[in-house]
Amino acid sequence: MPTTTATLTLSSADITGHNFNLTSTATLTKAGGSTGLDEFTGITSRTYAAAQTDTVVVADSIYASTTVAHKVYIRNTASGTSDYILVELEGNVIIGRLYPGDWMLMPYGGTLDVQVTTLATGVTIEYGVLSQSAAS
Amino acid sequence: MPTTTASLTLTSTDLLSDSLSIVTTANLTKAGTKTGLSQTSGLARKTLSSASSAVITAEPLFRGDGATADGANKVYIKNTSVIASEYVEIYIDQEEMGRLYAGDWAFFPWKAASGTKETFVVTSAGTVAAGDSWDFDGVTTVSADANSNNFATAVNAQFYPNWTTTVNAPAVTFTARQAGAAGVVTSSTAITGDTITDLAGSDLTMAITSGAAGTRSESDIFVKPSVETEVTVEYMLINE
Repeated sequence: MPTTTATLTLSSADITGHNFNLTSTATLTKAGGSTGLDEFTGITSRTYAAAQTDTVVVADSIYASTTVAHKVYIRNTASGTSDYILVELEGNVIIGRLYPGDWMLMPYGGTLDVQVTTLATGVTIEYGVLSQSAAS
Repeated sequence: MPTTTASLTLTSTDLLSDSLSIVTTANLTKAGTKTGLSQTSGLARKTLSSASSAVITAEPLFRGDGATADGANKVYIKNTSVIASEYVEIYIDQEEMGRLYAGDWAFFPWKAASGTKETFVVTSAGTVAAGDSWDFDGVTTVSADANSNNFATAVNAQFYPNWTTTVNAPAVTFTARQAGAAGVVTSSTAITGDTITDLAGSDLTMAITSGAAGTRSESDIFVKPSVETEVTVEYMLINE
């Protein structure tokens, strides 16, 4: 049984009047149990030569769905400030914008494609899916 | 300028035949700038429960009109349950993103698009008399005299749980506190949900002279627990 952990550290000395430092660690398991997620796409790096509109980066058709604990990771690797990636679920369900350097890790139900839209040329993104091979 | 960082560490020694170690850190900045995000909801907790499994409902965590649209806002949500089978479904724009099982967390950007707020203008007409009243949003205003301008001022002076008001006597403008199709304004001039008491037979009416229906936000974030017993979520918004 694979053991994969995801740790988030959120910290700021000055966004509020006191130090803020949150650390949260999750052991990534299949839905409803203690067995670890058993599939991983690896981290894909893609550079888009042209602007993209609703380009599918995670296709729901290849994943088990509903009773699942999949996780999707996406990162905008640009180094500027303005070239954002708009992340959506299929059907124009807009999640939000990843600006350069931003990343996200979200749960994924495997029922809708995950899509990205970019405005600039030459935008590079990283993405990967940690998933379970069958619904629980 | 606040500096806030978000770091992710993904590790496994046995998921692959090689060790997995992914470490990434983002400085959380406002859209298109190097200026740090300056606002936060603070880390919050909400315990969700229902009377029975048949009446479990999704609860809002973040409303689209609570943050800058198209900003670089970030949302953190964690299911603090320690019971493996307990999960919370994350919804955005009425679609399920996925489930957070016990101990799972999510960190993602948020568009925060607002809908529009319903608004209407009500103007007293006819002859108001002392003792006449108008009830709306659970709030009853009783006229103290026969002056319609004074009545409008009294209507405006009330606190309405779901509306804010301004007055230009005898007209009172109502604006919903939250975006959405509240159903009060059903067309440009129709209103539902009010009651007039015309004790003196003075033909008082509270006519709608203009109005516009609202539209729902397409980015409200809701969570729905899998069980009726208590499930606690931790959540935080860092926004522009």
